[in-house]
Amino acid sequence: MSILNRLRLTAHLDEAGLIAIWTDASTTGVRQLHPHLENCAACRTRFAELSSWLESVRIDARSEAHESFPAERLAAQQALIFRRLEAAERPARVIAFPRFAQPLTSRTSHASRWIAAAAAAGLIVGVGVGQLMDLRHSLARPQATQARLSPTVNAGRDARVQSLSAARDEAFLSELDATLSRASVPELRALDAFTPKADDQPR
Amino acid sequence: MTGAQAAGFTGREADSGAASAVKALQADGRHAEARERYAELVARHQRRASRIAFHYMRDVAEADEAVQDAFVKAYSHLSSFREELPFEVWFTRILINGCLDRIKARTRRERWIAPMPDGPAGERDFGERVAGNDPSPEDQLLSRERRERLARALARLPERQRSVFMLSHYEGCTSREVSALTGLNESTVRVHLFRAIRKLRTLLVEAPGVERNVEKRRVHS
Repeated sequence: MSILNRLRLTAHLDEAGLIAIWTDASTTGVRQLHPHLENCAACRTRFAELSSWLESVRIDARSEAHESFPAERLAAQQALIFRRLEAAERPARVIAFPRFAQPLTSRTSHASRWIAAAAAAGLIVGVGVGQLMDLRHSLARPQATQARLSPTVNAGRDARVQSLSAARDEAFLSELDATLSRASVPELRALDAFTPKADDQPR
Repeated sequence: MTGAQAAGFTGREADSGAASAVKALQADGRHAEARERYAELVARHQRRASRIAFHYMRDVAEADEAVQDAFVKAYSHLSSFREELPFEVWFTRILINGCLDRIKARTRRERWIAPMPDGPAGERDFGERVAGNDPSPEDQLLSRERRERLARALARLPERQRSVFMLSHYEGCTSREVSALTGLNESTVRVHLFRAIRKLRTLLVEAPGVERNVEKRRVHS
């Protein structure tokens, strides 16, 4: 063994050297002990300390991730993944362009056309009936005019009606007088005396 | 061959078989069966994917979304998957790219949008609320502090170093696997891993010592 190699083996490994040994072992997956570590207990202890520190970092990080994703969360995640996959595979719903919705619109316009036609017919009928009524009035008016033109006939008829009602009034009043003059209830006579009469009123 | 390696090979074979079956079912238009078969792959990789996404995003909700996106993307692009590449590697690459895109978007958002003030203590994130094996409050506090320090130190690493460190160390990938996942060559992977560990040691082991010394000096003076 050369002096240089012997020096290399006897000199303690620095931090970088220990990390390099650990990195090589980790990336290749081959655990071979460095010749210096086999002979130097101090470096072996430092290497063990480095390895355990890295291991604690790994355990910490992994346990944190595990705690963040408990079984329930993973189950929910899986359900969401499959819901999304299902939704992605379902054929897309095509919304009809307004032009293709023409039949629906035409059906609506058909009904509205009927409504408009009925309204127009109603208006025409109304106007027609109005015109007919007007015509009837205009036909009835000459009769009234004619009545105005023959007063003697009407006067005779009015006189007959008037004489009939006057006779009826006269009979009623005479009956009333008779009833009053026949005041035969003695208890009411005093009351009657106190009651003012229409004839007592000053004129 | 170790037990783990053997299990890895068996897992890879199973992955390839499942991926090929899903691909064939998709091509036949038997989508319901394809989804059922794909469930196997999801169940096998979901936990690991969530872990990787969480290490990248440091946010449970965002990591959750990133994992969902990656699985949906992998399913819809399964026709472009080549059987000679392990499904795990192909899928992890999709996941990492998604995470990096999300980080970029988040950085952009944070640059323009003022962060919301923290809610009351009771409204913490789901992941933070879930307790492990019910350790004591003191242990919980110490553990949280340690994790926060580690997260801060990791955040100070350059992106490539961080990726290589997380994949190599946390996920136990070999340099060849990390090379396939990141597109870096194997020797570069080793260099990045070396530098990442060195920097983390400086930040986490040496820096607190410096802080302690400063504290001691303050006490003596």
